[in-house]
Amino acid sequence: MSADTRKKVSIVIGSGGIKCAAAIGLVKVLEEADIPIDLVVGCSGGSMYAGLIAAGKSAEEMQERTIFLWTTEVMKDYTSNLKATQDGSLRFNERSGLVDDSVMNTRLEETFGQIFFENLKRPLLLVATDLMTGERVVLNKGSLFPAVRASLAIPIIMPPWEVDGALLVDGAAVDPLPVDVAIQEGADVIIAMGFMLSNRGRMRSMTAVQQQLNNIYMNNILRATYAFYNLAHHAEIFPILPDFEEPLGMFDTDKLPDIIARGEAAARAELPHIQRLLAA
Amino acid sequence: MEMKLEMDGTVAIVIASGSIDALTAPELANFINLQIQDGHTRLVADLAGVDYTSSAGLRVLLGAVKETRSKGGDLRLANIQPDVKKVLDLSGFTSILKHFPDRAAAIASYNG
Repeated sequence: MSADTRKKVSIVIGSGGIKCAAAIGLVKVLEEADIPIDLVVGCSGGSMYAGLIAAGKSAEEMQERTIFLWTTEVMKDYTSNLKATQDGSLRFNERSGLVDDSVMNTRLEETFGQIFFENLKRPLLLVATDLMTGERVVLNKGSLFPAVRASLAIPIIMPPWEVDGALLVDGAAVDPLPVDVAIQEGADVIIAMGFMLSNRGRMRSMTAVQQQLNNIYMNNILRATYAFYNLAHHAEIFPILPDFEEPLGMFDTDKLPDIIARGEAAARAELPHIQRLLAA
Repeated sequence: MEMKLEMDGTVAIVIASGSIDALTAPELANFINLQIQDGHTRLVADLAGVDYTSSAGLRVLLGAVKETRSKGGDLRLANIQPDVKKVLDLSGFTSILKHFPDRAAAIASYNG
């Protein structure tokens, strides 16, 4: 089948924190099976992997970058700043975040600063949210650093990132699994790796309750948007939903091999269906 | 994909097996539409043999639910396998479709 007539395949990596490393397993399976990837779309934590995949990084490189980027140092000053906001000694506004983002910025810049959308191996689109308007913003120009930084800026925790005059935060706030972006780009087959946020077992603080509520909101946004995209368009969407038996901590990089294996297993389960459709 | 029909009183049971994807979904849609055209609007889809559904399968199920409900009936699901349940849950379908652990319960639901 020629490239002109075959179906256009897009992968979409949704939000999910460190669980998004499961995308390493997904790409491994697709590459082994010679499934072409014509477009990569990412959101939030998924933006990091979407960027690395689009740049053609190997599984080993992506694992190294995961360990480099998912470090507790990116949460610098979180606890002290949280206390300071509660006792009123730290003023908060739309540009604020609870963490000092200097470590995160340095590491993201080192990873993505010299990679440009225009030179990627595969076309890439990343999703962020305009904090002031609530609109979805699709980023696809220039260096990947500001796009990835904006896409994963968890509101309140991480300061927003300004791109072209817009104050951007985590794309998950509007589009946690941006299948719509792939549809908009004309994908025929969409392989969408998504993650539900885990429920908290016990909540011992107001912040924990807020986080649990946030997880409930986010999971419902994911379900609602996914249902709509499924029904609104003829594109075939293959959901890849890795199973995680236990909630993962934000920086559980020691569980990376297991996360990747779960992504690989979930992708292998879908592979025969994907191959069947592409062969038709 | 294989499909057959069994009747239990006024309830028509569509027994499907295999995978529902873009290639097989039209067959399933046709099969269900034929039953509706024959006047069977109280449907149960027994999905014990369905190991997979993609977005095309979801569209068929929703279309059948809308059609049967518009005629005073319904499409109810039974024996949903874990992988299919996961997709139905993710897309919110388990909130809008009535589903039951087995065929008998789905049939009985029409008599409640």
